[in-house]
Amino acid sequence: MRPFSLQFLVDVFPILLPFLSATLAVVVGTIFFGSIAGGLLAWAKEGSYQLFQRLAQAYTYIIRCTPPIVLLFIVFYGLPKFCLEVLDTNINDYDKLFFVIISFTLLFAAPVSEVMRSAYEAIDHGQYEAAVSIGLSPWQAFFHIVLPQATVVALPNFGNSVISLMKDGSLAYTIGFIDLIGKGQLIVSMNYGAYAMETYLALALIYLMLTIGMEKLFLWIEQRFSRHKQAA
Amino acid sequence: MEINYKFLIDTFYIVLAAVPTTLKLTIIPLLAAAPFAFTIALIRLQKGKSLWKVPVSAYVTFVRGTPIVLQILMIYSLLPSLLNALMKAWSFDINVFDWDPIFYAYIVFTLNIIALLSEVLRSAFGSVEKGQLEAAECAGLTKVQAYVHILLPQAMVVAMPNLCNLTVNLIKGTSLAFLMTVKDMTAVAKVSASYGYNYIEAYLDVFVGYIIICSIAQVLFHFAEAHMGRYRLSKQK
Repeated sequence: MRPFSLQFLVDVFPILLPFLSATLAVVVGTIFFGSIAGGLLAWAKEGSYQLFQRLAQAYTYIIRCTPPIVLLFIVFYGLPKFCLEVLDTNINDYDKLFFVIISFTLLFAAPVSEVMRSAYEAIDHGQYEAAVSIGLSPWQAFFHIVLPQATVVALPNFGNSVISLMKDGSLAYTIGFIDLIGKGQLIVSMNYGAYAMETYLALALIYLMLTIGMEKLFLWIEQRFSRHKQAA
Repeated sequence: MEINYKFLIDTFYIVLAAVPTTLKLTIIPLLAAAPFAFTIALIRLQKGKSLWKVPVSAYVTFVRGTPIVLQILMIYSLLPSLLNALMKAWSFDINVFDWDPIFYAYIVFTLNIIALLSEVLRSAFGSVEKGQLEAAECAGLTKVQAYVHILLPQAMVVAMPNLCNLTVNLIKGTSLAFLMTVKDMTAVAKVSASYGYNYIEAYLDVFVGYIIICSIAQVLFHFAEAHMGRYRLSKQK
């Protein structure tokens, strides 16, 4: 067996790192669209429409039971066919990033809606009533009083969801999207399977730094957001 | 949209036939990981400095910080050739490349679950009051007896919801075993889809299959939690 090449491990980093942007594009895009979708789901769950409530709960349950890769394949193979046959538009040549973000948005919305819902419920309803009673409109009460407090409560769980999204995002290479892992696989196959261990170890170290960095970032944001709480 | 219903139904049976593989990939790693996870949890709960704490924490951080695909790729690229080299070095006449790839899948998922389960157990043991252990020792139980009869039953009730999550995530994670050419639900669907490019139907079958398995797992955990927590519930009344 060939000995482990430390030199290759070092050399492979500069080749892999440019593809960090692709990985982060998936994460950032999904956080943006997924948070909007998750917010809508949370609103449906907390709202008074029975039908919306049931639908949102069913959606969350189904997504909880769906492996990311299966959803990714369904979207990647199903969406173009659906668009071609029903909407009569050809999206077969769309960038793969488009399909990846759609899949992960569908996945991310469910846990995030739960995070948002529990954070909203953690805020005493009296806060809202007090705000409305001193003359704020319901929207103002929500945006100025409830939302800032709920955000602080939601941040740790939201951070966890983002970290697991980032790890699930690594599956995008299975549909041919070239992110960190996709590039890693290309490097491995270009070397005919040699240096696989070194390449994967480099990827593991990059992901480790990403998750630890993300954890630190969310801790910092949380402290920043709760500075008023500490002062009180 | 045109869906090939005959294919949809036929493939569903093929997918169902692969359910045992998915279950094996879930249950065997869970059972195999339990003793190791238990040990790691106890090491990390110990007070003071211990020689083992650093490597054990590093292991848990590594597993939790990297995607499971990467863990699969790493082990599947390393382990067979490593084992082969070992077999040759010790001059055993065994060809490791003939082994069923499910063997490697067991190893990957076990290594993964050891770290995740140890975190679940750690938080569960941490939630049981310290006085319980002291009281048990005062009453004359040995440390092992105290853990087995006093702490473990209480910790398990607390751990149940997290264990349920862990199991559901593992069931979903087994869908990646096809990367190691294991013929699980996802793999057989993929193969039968590739004949006529019926990917949507095949993946819809897999999708339904996972929903059914995960639902059953969640119902089982619900009953287990109710059963194990029956003393706690009666106390509250």
